[in-house]
Amino acid sequence: MQAVLAKERKSTAEFVELCTDWIYGFVRRRLMPRAELLEDLMQEILLAAWQALPSYRQESSLRSWVLGIARHKLDDYYRRRIMETDLAEEDRGSEELTITPAFEDELDSATQQERIEKILADLPEAYSLALLWRYRDEKSAREMAELTGKTEKAIERLLARARQSFRRRWIDARP
Amino acid sequence: MPGLDDDMKFRDLFAGYGDQFERAPSSLKARLYTNFVHKQREGGALASLDRSVASGQGICVFETMVQIAPVGEKPKSPFFCQTCHARVLAEHFDHPPIFWLNCPYVKFKES
Repeated sequence: MQAVLAKERKSTAEFVELCTDWIYGFVRRRLMPRAELLEDLMQEILLAAWQALPSYRQESSLRSWVLGIARHKLDDYYRRRIMETDLAEEDRGSEELTITPAFEDELDSATQQERIEKILADLPEAYSLALLWRYRDEKSAREMAELTGKTEKAIERLLARARQSFRRRWIDARP
Repeated sequence: MPGLDDDMKFRDLFAGYGDQFERAPSSLKARLYTNFVHKQREGGALASLDRSVASGQGICVFETMVQIAPVGEKPKSPFFCQTCHARVLAEHFDHPPIFWLNCPYVKFKES
C-alpha cells in the first residue's frame, strides 16, 4: 500500500486490478439501467479509495473497505438521481395501479438474477434505483426521503409505481 | 403503505442480487489503470523506474531501456505506457495480441 501511495506504477496496476475485480459486479448490477455510467463511477471509486488509503486501519479486509467506499458512492448516486426526479410529474404520467399477482415462478438463482437484471435495465431509472435502494440495500422509505429531500409519501408512491412496473414486466418475461 | 407481504416478497426477490463475484473485462481494467495513473500524475510525478526496480518490481523491456540510461531520476518518472502500442490495444480489446514481460496491460489480459 505504501508503494501505491508513493505512485509506484506496477503496485498501482496491481491495486487497480484487485479493486476493479472486487467492485465490478457489485457496481454494474446496482447501476441498472445506466450501465454506461459504470466506468466513470468505478474510476471515482478507485480514486476515492486511493485518496483514503492513508486512513485504512486494516480493521476489515481491504476488499470490504473498498466495497464500503463503493456502497457510499452508489448511495450518493441514487440520492442525486432520485432527488432530480420530478415525482409529481411521474404521478401525473403514471398509469392507474392495478392488482397484479405475486412472483409465483420457481426459478433457479441464475435465471432469477438474469431476469431481475433485464427488468431493471428496462425500467425507468428512478424506478430501478428506488427498488434497488429499498429492497437490495434495505433503506427504509423514511431514510430515502431524508436523503433525497422528498416526502416519505412521495417515496412510497414512487416505490408503489416501481413495484407495479417491475411486476408487469416480470409477468411479461415469463416464457 | 405497501402491505408487509408485498414488501417482503420484493425483499426476498432482491436478496443476494448483485452479490455474485464477476471478473471485470481486461479492457476496462486497462482504461481504468491508464486514467488512474493520469490522475496520480496531476498531483506530482510518478515514482521513478529506479524505485520500481529497487522494490523488486519487474519492468518491461522499454522501461528497462530508460531505467539503465545514465540520467537522473526525473527522466525516469513519466508514464511511458502512454506511448506504447500495448496500452492502446489493451484498452480496446479484451484479448489483445500483446505478450511483453512485466507489462501491466498483459497482466490485465491474463487475469
